[in-house]
Amino acid sequence: MARIVVDPITRIEGHLRIEAQVENGRITDAWAAGTMFRGIEIILKDRDPRDAWIFTQRICGVCTTTHALASVRAVENALNITIPSNANIIRNIIACSQLIQDHIVHFYHLHALDWVDVVSALKADPAKTSALAQSLSDWPLSSTSYFKGVQNKVKTLVESGQLGIFANGYWGHSAYKLPAEANLMAVAHYLEALDLQREFIRIHALLGSKNPHLQTYLVGGVSIPVDPNSQNALNADSIAFMLSLSKKAQDFVSKVYIPDLLAVASFYKDWAAYGGGSGNFISVGEFPSDGTLKNMWMPAGIIFNKDLSKVHPVDQSKITEYVTHSWYEYSGGDAKGKHPFEGETNHKYSGPKPPYDYLDTSKKYSWIKAPRYDDKPMEVGPLARVLVAYASGQKQFKDTVDAVLKKLGVGPEALFSTLGRTAARGIETLVLTEMLPQWIGELAANMKKGDYTIHSGDKWEPSTWPKEAKGWGFHEASRGFLGHWVNIKDKKTANYQCVVPTTWNASPRDAKGKRGPYEEALVGTPIADPNKPVEILRTIHSFDPCIACAVH
Amino acid sequence: MQKNVYVWEFPIRLTHWLNVLSIVMLSVTGIYIGAPFIHALYTTQYIMGTVRFLHFAFAYLFIVSLAFRIYWMFKGNRFSVWSAYNPLAKGKVKLAAEHCKFYMCIANKPPKDWLGHTASASLAYIGLLVLFLFMIASGSALYYNAQPNLAVFLMGGWLGKVFSISTLRLWHHLVMWFILTFVIVHVYLGWLLDRFEKNGIMSSIFSGYKVGE
Amino acid sequence: MKDESIYAALSHRGVSRRDFMKFCATITATLSLPSAFTPKIAEALEKKKKPYVVWLHFQDCTGDTEAILRASNPSVAELLLDIISLEYHETIMAPSGKLAEKSRHDVITSQKGNYIAIVEGSIPTKDDGIYCVVGGRTALSIAKEVCSNALVNFTVGSCAAWGGLGSANPNPTGAVGLQDVVSGAKIVNFPGCPMNPVNLVAAIVHFLTFGSLPALDSRNRPLFAYGKRIHDNCERRAHFDAGQFVRQWGDEGHRKGWCLYEMGCKGPEAFLNCPTVKFNDKTSWPVQAGHGCVACAADHNWDKVYPFYGRLQKVPGFGIETTADKVGLGLAAAAAAGVAGHAVASSLKKDKDCSSKEESNK
Ligand code: HEM
Ligand code: HEM
Ligand code: NFV
Ligand code: SF4
Ligand code: SF4
Ligand code: F3S
Ligand SMILES: [Mg+2]
Repeated sequence: MARIVVDPITRIEGHLRIEAQVENGRITDAWAAGTMFRGIEIILKDRDPRDAWIFTQRICGVCTTTHALASVRAVENALNITIPSNANIIRNIIACSQLIQDHIVHFYHLHALDWVDVVSALKADPAKTSALAQSLSDWPLSSTSYFKGVQNKVKTLVESGQLGIFANGYWGHSAYKLPAEANLMAVAHYLEALDLQREFIRIHALLGSKNPHLQTYLVGGVSIPVDPNSQNALNADSIAFMLSLSKKAQDFVSKVYIPDLLAVASFYKDWAAYGGGSGNFISVGEFPSDGTLKNMWMPAGIIFNKDLSKVHPVDQSKITEYVTHSWYEYSGGDAKGKHPFEGETNHKYSGPKPPYDYLDTSKKYSWIKAPRYDDKPMEVGPLARVLVAYASGQKQFKDTVDAVLKKLGVGPEALFSTLGRTAARGIETLVLTEMLPQWIGELAANMKKGDYTIHSGDKWEPSTWPKEAKGWGFHEASRGFLGHWVNIKDKKTANYQCVVPTTWNASPRDAKGKRGPYEEALVGTPIADPNKPVEILRTIHSFDPCIACAVH
Repeated sequence: MQKNVYVWEFPIRLTHWLNVLSIVMLSVTGIYIGAPFIHALYTTQYIMGTVRFLHFAFAYLFIVSLAFRIYWMFKGNRFSVWSAYNPLAKGKVKLAAEHCKFYMCIANKPPKDWLGHTASASLAYIGLLVLFLFMIASGSALYYNAQPNLAVFLMGGWLGKVFSISTLRLWHHLVMWFILTFVIVHVYLGWLLDRFEKNGIMSSIFSGYKVGE
Repeated sequence: MKDESIYAALSHRGVSRRDFMKFCATITATLSLPSAFTPKIAEALEKKKKPYVVWLHFQDCTGDTEAILRASNPSVAELLLDIISLEYHETIMAPSGKLAEKSRHDVITSQKGNYIAIVEGSIPTKDDGIYCVVGGRTALSIAKEVCSNALVNFTVGSCAAWGGLGSANPNPTGAVGLQDVVSGAKIVNFPGCPMNPVNLVAAIVHFLTFGSLPALDSRNRPLFAYGKRIHDNCERRAHFDAGQFVRQWGDEGHRKGWCLYEMGCKGPEAFLNCPTVKFNDKTSWPVQAGHGCVACAADHNWDKVYPFYGRLQKVPGFGIETTADKVGLGLAAAAAAGVAGHAVASSLKKDKDCSSKEESNK
């Protein structure tokens, strides 16, 4: 029996290490370790809570804005501030376009090469590729000459000997199943997606000055003015601009992303049997209809051990974080978990001295804490959101999920897998591109009404704050349920704790030795060639890891 | 036998009042720069622009006037030379004690006036000089941040390489209040001494003459 | 091996001569070079082979990588496939684990002293650097190995330039910038949070064109990007000089695009070309979106260019709400009160005991 190590795991955000036990071609046990720590929760102490979002946003530049949003929501919750309608809509538009952009980049630039053999694209027949593309959708870029051009590009790259990011890929690996034509088509779309994501995310620049790291949030609202009669505020032009970009994304997702997803999936159906994970899913809901955050367009809920017949309510007080196998120390011992309000971040490394070959996984082995809900490991992310929405009968999601399952000829149980996770992300993206224009429309409607309010300022001055306040801010980020908890004392941040999507998914074991979702999902995965562990990448990438987020 | 003694030569009186003028102007404009309490109605107005211009103009006047006062510390009469600011100069300590006695009504006669600065006055004026130099240095640093040039660098622009501009801004602002606090006490003491010691100290900063033996 | 020129690569991808020249013109402008240089740049790109690039991630958030993914003119596709040969970049490279490390190892050995290293993220120095470990090795040792043998190192973002967010007080991991751990290596800093991709691309092209680095300031930042103060290039400067300031978020002045000085804008202390080059295809920049600048490119802005929503720092030793003016006014008021009190007391005194004595010494 062999121990294999994959470090660095690439095509993710951050520094993730996987150690796995392989016995006759299958993974029997696995460990996920985050290997970079910054201590942002410590840095936030004693600062002005109104600034916190500017710091927390920098937890991650891939899911930029998500930590900013969770942060202002947490402080607003603590000081019970209700943000005005415009602010809520603008935040919805930002969050929605973030999910769309993040998912597209993940599918094409982080995940695709696990399924697509770039080099095999050289053998493709451009004419056949064109035929294939046109059979899938009426996307204009599908002529023979177009695909010939792309193929030449790949050829010159290979011939130049300067393969760049494609060097040393697992090309020719037995696990690659796509025909050459499908590979060529995917490579073309890989390049198109690079341009699309860049173009589309200008919505963020318009609303928030720049992407990544928008500079437009405020505790109490947003800082981008709304005024149809001003050239220095969101006006009719801005609405038109956003609508055109949202249309671009909608076309690309419906005519390229989804067809590609289905095409790839149909060749890799066996992956509906691997990568199941912990089987518990949580979503806190997203896209509130107004500043009270009472009703969410995407439902909140919990599903325990893959039982879609019942959706349980979310109770934040049941959340705890363990550090039994993480490089931290808790006052009162590492055997018990702590709720984020009592959370501590006392880093204390106890692993092997670098350079090292293996971690001692029987002890502490990661910078990632181990969050649990009611003492259970939970999976978060697009799959969790889609399942909760599906099980609670949310129409748009139900219809889209059923349509996709039908096309692939599989049942809902297929969703609990590596393939299901990747499919769910696509499904979510499709539904979101349909919603985006609606929120943009709501903003336009407010402008018509003459409502230009973007900030509720009555609690802006710290002098108006109570001596002590506590609150939490939740957000469904690209990778799942993000929670920030803040304690404010004497106008300063006394304690700040973030429990982040990838903290849930990539968590190490807890006090009871229960595996985290990544670790659980890897068990049972086949490994053809331990030196080219593309199968590990498939399952891990299906979660879209972000370790800067997970550890922070 | 009491007679009028020429204490404050013209340059002293001149620089004194130039300093007063510039400090008042610098403070008013400075407070506006710090918190623009008047808002323009039209973009064509130039309120902040003008205020900053005045601040810099009086800053230069202040620098020149102070420089001349320092030069006079070596040219001037026994009351204004640098040594007149040595609080421990012989006699001064004793004099200070006598002043206390008088003001506590232990002694019934004010001490024979020294005419020059008392020990405490010397101390106060040395401290003030330090504050002045700091304002020039920190101001120069703020100025250098926007319009670098060698002269300003030498006058204190270099401070910006040691401390952050934000920190210098804060202290530039705070020390203004220290100076204004001095002024309050200073003017009052002038009035007080004049009243009780009948040494014409107050008029001296206008006329130059004090009453003494 | 056969290396082809950058322009050749571009044209292979059907990039027209026109677009190519447009791109060269953009670069010339960003570098604030006279437009006469455009043909020179074009010529250079037609000849030069693609330089080898190794991109290292340490204590980062990948925001600068994302920034590069937003590059246009040249687009990121052109940049990655035609202008540079990106041999190692954990966020987008195909191989993982051992094979990924092989990619890195191959360049730094076969191209020793000849590759460009780009560093994103700070480097932890506390506790032997165990706070950032890649493939079982500390960021510290990887940085030393890769960066001291590079032709030139570009740090992208404030973290890599001076420690950035990770080094904010109390700097739990002893995070520092690259120049604090590799001595002697040639380093160009592109601070910013994130850095503006326009500036990085322009510098790379300048390097390819003239074989030399653009002029740097005393802290190794390219002058073309970091030489001018934001406040002096801000489109709202006219409102500052006039005296038109935003006083509340969303007030009339805010909607009309007045100056954000009173809301804490740090433009008067920040040096970067944001107002001129902007972000995301020149769509916007912080002030244009109604929020003050936070001097994200300034050394330790997290602690020194503070507070983000106030004009002046807090007075050391006083509560979060006591401003400099409160403290100063209090001081002056106290003095005034003391003086007044003393005046009253002493005038009473005059009329009583001391008065007789005063008569006697007439
Ligand atoms: C910004 C305000 C002021 C400042 C900074 C200031 C500063 C000074 C300084 C440095 C001296 C010492 C003379 C020398 O050695 O150069 C002095 C002397 C004097 N000042 Fe002022 N002064 C101010 C305002 C005033 C005002 C408003 C008055 C009276 C109306 C005044 C009355 C006097 C008198 C009487 C003396 C002579 C005191 C003595 O003989 O020791 N000053 N002042
Ligand atoms: C007693 C003398 C002075 C006083 C009371 C004074 C007061 C002030 C105050 C209160 C501010 C506003 C600070 C803030 O809140 O941002 C200021 C700003 C400034 N002062 Fe002074 N100042 C004095 C002397 C000087 C001198 C000698 C110089 C130049 C050499 C100078 C240059 C500046 C500059 C450049 C600014 C910043 C203006 C801006 O950022 O637009 N000041 N001053
Ligand atoms: N995990 C995570 Fe994030 C996301 N989505 C966080 O909130 O990626 Ni950096
Ligand atoms: S400088 Fe900013 S964007 Fe770049 S890595 Fe650091 S935090 Fe992220
Ligand atoms: S908005 Fe900021 S940078 Fe622009 S003029 Fe006002 S203070 Fe200066
Ligand atoms: S915050 Fe940064 S992006 Fe530019 S405007 Fe200020 S330097
Ligand atoms: Mg945490």
